[in-house]
Amino acid sequence: MRPSYFINFMMGIYIFIFFAYLFGPLIIMSITAFNSAEFPSITPWECFSFRWFNEGKIAYDGQHLAGLLTDWRLHDGIISSLIIGAGVVTLSVPIGMAAAIVLTQVRSQLRDIFYSISIMPVLFPGVIIGISTVVLWDRLAGLGGEGFISDIGRNGIFLTILAQTCFISTYCFLIFVARLQRFDQTQEEAALDLGASQTQVFFKILVPYLSPAIASAAVIAFLFSFENYNTTVFSILSDQTLTTVIASKVRLGISPALSALALTIIALTIIAAATYEVLRRRAEKRYKDTQEKFVKEKAADNRINKNYKIGFKVPRGIVTILILVVFTIYGATQILKNDLYGQSCIDAADTEKKSKFYDQLNALDAIELSEEELSGGELGGNQDYGDIFGDPSLFQDFGGFD
Amino acid sequence: MNNFLFTQPFFKKNGKAVAIYFLVAIIFWFVFLVIIPQFYMLDLSFRTNVPPLARGGPEDYYTFEHYSHFIFGSKTATDAFNFVDLGVFGRTIFVSMLVTIANLLFCYPIAFYIAKIANPSTARLLIVSLIIPFWINELLRSFALRILFANEGVINNFLTGIGILDQGILFITYDIGLYTGLIYAYILLMMFPLYNAIESLDINQIEAAKDLGSSSFRTHWRIVIPHAQPGIVSGCTMVFMLTVGALATPVVLSSPNTLWFPQLIYQWFNMNDNWSRGSAYSIILLIVSVIFVLTMMRIFKVRIGEIIK
Amino acid sequence: MSADVELSDVSVTFGSFYAAKNVNVKVNGGEFFSFLGPSGCGKTTLLRAISGFQEPSEGKVLIDNKDMSGIGPNKRPTALIFQNLALFPLMSVSENIAFSLEVRGVSKEERKKRADELLELIALEGQGDKKVHQLSGGQKQRVAIARALAVEPKVLLLDEPLSALDLKLRQRMRTELREIQKRVNITFIYITHDQGEALTMSDRIAVMNEGELEQIGKCDEVYNNPLTPFVATFVGENNPLYGKVTGIDGDKAQIETADGQYLAMMNESKKLNIGDESIAFVRPESLFIPRDGDNFDNKINVNIESFEFEGNLKNFYARLQSGAKIKFSVPNAIDTSTISSGSSIALGFDSSKSVILPKASLAID
Repeated sequence: MRPSYFINFMMGIYIFIFFAYLFGPLIIMSITAFNSAEFPSITPWECFSFRWFNEGKIAYDGQHLAGLLTDWRLHDGIISSLIIGAGVVTLSVPIGMAAAIVLTQVRSQLRDIFYSISIMPVLFPGVIIGISTVVLWDRLAGLGGEGFISDIGRNGIFLTILAQTCFISTYCFLIFVARLQRFDQTQEEAALDLGASQTQVFFKILVPYLSPAIASAAVIAFLFSFENYNTTVFSILSDQTLTTVIASKVRLGISPALSALALTIIALTIIAAATYEVLRRRAEKRYKDTQEKFVKEKAADNRINKNYKIGFKVPRGIVTILILVVFTIYGATQILKNDLYGQSCIDAADTEKKSKFYDQLNALDAIELSEEELSGGELGGNQDYGDIFGDPSLFQDFGGFD
Repeated sequence: MNNFLFTQPFFKKNGKAVAIYFLVAIIFWFVFLVIIPQFYMLDLSFRTNVPPLARGGPEDYYTFEHYSHFIFGSKTATDAFNFVDLGVFGRTIFVSMLVTIANLLFCYPIAFYIAKIANPSTARLLIVSLIIPFWINELLRSFALRILFANEGVINNFLTGIGILDQGILFITYDIGLYTGLIYAYILLMMFPLYNAIESLDINQIEAAKDLGSSSFRTHWRIVIPHAQPGIVSGCTMVFMLTVGALATPVVLSSPNTLWFPQLIYQWFNMNDNWSRGSAYSIILLIVSVIFVLTMMRIFKVRIGEIIK
Repeated sequence: MSADVELSDVSVTFGSFYAAKNVNVKVNGGEFFSFLGPSGCGKTTLLRAISGFQEPSEGKVLIDNKDMSGIGPNKRPTALIFQNLALFPLMSVSENIAFSLEVRGVSKEERKKRADELLELIALEGQGDKKVHQLSGGQKQRVAIARALAVEPKVLLLDEPLSALDLKLRQRMRTELREIQKRVNITFIYITHDQGEALTMSDRIAVMNEGELEQIGKCDEVYNNPLTPFVATFVGENNPLYGKVTGIDGDKAQIETADGQYLAMMNESKKLNIGDESIAFVRPESLFIPRDGDNFDNKINVNIESFEFEGNLKNFYARLQSGAKIKFSVPNAIDTSTISSGSSIALGFDSSKSVILPKASLAID
């Protein structure tokens, strides 16, 4: 096939834009985590610093902006997220597995209904699952009087585990269904024929066969639980999870500490993905000479461009790395040249801002005085401050007062 | 009952202990986690909003007031209809549809490229690159966009810095940030069903069409898209449902003076402490979702199992 | 209607690998021409080069003396029938057949008329509204042909379209294909690894091996006068007898092997000299159990090892004294009750039924 170079070129540009859209915001956010300024930004660049990963800062106006290490609300949130994640995994994996196995046993007329009920929860908007769990358990807690039911019915972590299990079980269910489709029923029959009991068949044949699915279901369940916001924000009641902490922080104003948090999560994700890829390749190597080659040839056959020279090629790793290196060097030299790093730079910036702040405060005093005279002592609200400084986030709570 | 429900006697087939585990797990899930909470919420949505202590008392009775509030507004309002809430509702659905269509248009070329044109190792690399951003919390992804679109954000600073603009564009105020964020949020859920559907198309089909004289456009229209239809339906359904029910992205990116429908529910629930009304609005959202899924299934003749895989 | 197809020095490379190397062939208009070779020999690559899915790395494809380079598959006067047929499963039979007309903007009535004509041609009248999956294997085959013919191509290219069918159906489709070709009178270029298919249907065949053309010729020519050891063993069965040339007599040569001397025909283009390493080939059906009055100019002593009944033929597997294996076939009508495993007999064959070729590496043993 004769490639149209124009179309290939446009396609290349389109793919570039698409991936820039996916990655650009994340990359920029990651960079802002290293800027010492209170507002996450690249320009103006204040100082290169790790403060948002560590202690945060006491702002010139006396506010404490927590960094990752010092933010106790974040830590509490992470702990309850971990507890909830563990709870969801222990509930939803067995539920999903039971439902998937039973799906293979129900009569064909019932199978569609059973399947529909099983996948319904992921079609419900997350907020609805959260709300319905809360209203039900609030009622149960009210009926139960004082005691155990009342306690758990008003326990946010317990409710969140239940609410998340409701729909995360479906994801587990789907993973098990996919695995069970390839299960050879005769294995079970062979085991029975050799004298195993039904229970033994389950534990010796079925569970080992499903173990890869159990592992991936557990991982998926945990991740979905850890990341969930829509359901959790209702069911968590007065507690906090990582996501609700993040949400409340974002709502109050955006802080580079969040960039630092996001960058940490991105780094963990990439490490996990790389580890997974390495493990996968190692496993693949064992098959390589036999099956894998055949599959790859098949995959290659099923593509338009059999001749790979034709067509747009995504730049090889080396190009990407080179570009990254160039940018890093450029950025680093800029930072070094302009003395934009280290404690001295931060101190200087703070001093400057502080003096500016006091100037403005003095000016404000003057205005307030005059206002006081005019309006009989009524002070303007926070909004007025915001207007005066032109930076509404200045007075907002970034990480809570310690 | 055994023979009616199952292909083989249930207890005999699984052994007693395992059978009990199956039954307990499934009943716990279906009944206690899925069905009862939904029905209780439905019940609550038809009741007056009373404090817990007054439940069961004379003030706790069945009423349509929450639904009528959604349509006609409060009894004291002067407008004939509740334009505010209806407006939020209409806008949420309309924008969700646009977001779904935008996702489809953005994803189709990429999905086709990865499935049929890129060589296998490039395709793998691209797929991994697609997945990575989506392991990052939706809130944090929205936050990344917020940094870009804030009034003093990276884009505005950049544009004013190099002198293209005197004043920043109010991306957040005009909800440009929100729309971008909603498209960003669930794009992967469009990409994968599409990719899987196109991948399964035999390349000979495309070549045969070409050999018979078909143009590229027509080949896509007559061969690739009809083949990918289940994937398209699945992707559109998932994206629409998630967008309509989105809360995290609007919380971070919507402008202070506009609301997304789930935010409205959140307000009734947490800020105004009117759980009944919150439930009623939730039921409305649920009905929209169910109608959308059923319509998609009816129009495109796909089964529910094909939508969610 | 029909067109000549000429491949002029066509090479197709994938990296450093030659899928086809310096192929020169001219297919005449209206001919049923087959490319025959084992899988991976490059025949499909050549077909893709003719249809336009693959640009040759070197050389030219000419159709009706017109250079096709740079012309896409949708602009060439060829139509391709894929190995798996590639019928469109979401369209009806008629829609499939009329697809090429639809993309050319032919009106609906015209399309229907033409589809009905073609359905008649392939004996599927009135089945146009069926879906593809409702058809049997042979019917699908015919629909694929009709769909390709709807373009009114000058050349029809067929990529092993019969390989998915069972034996009976395959044999019937051979005749049908041949008949369709006669009726529409266009050039058919057929790709196969099955020599039976190639020999029964084709006017001429080209035998390919590892990207190169080994021999082009009429079927009987290729069968009776193979030009290379590869052709001799790939087309039909052949017993090789390895040795050295010890004498030349006109168009015949004498070969000395470990088991004796034989006389065989030399090919005009493959002249041999005394002392050359060479191979004489004799086909199983050319080896006879001599009866009274028979006078073969070659005799060969063998030890019978085993026996196999094929219906019309009886196959015997035997060994020469040197240990070389040999196979011979006897028509069922001939009584062979005297021959049993382990017995030693003398066979005879005529030098005119044997060919001698210079030794080259054999691809197939």
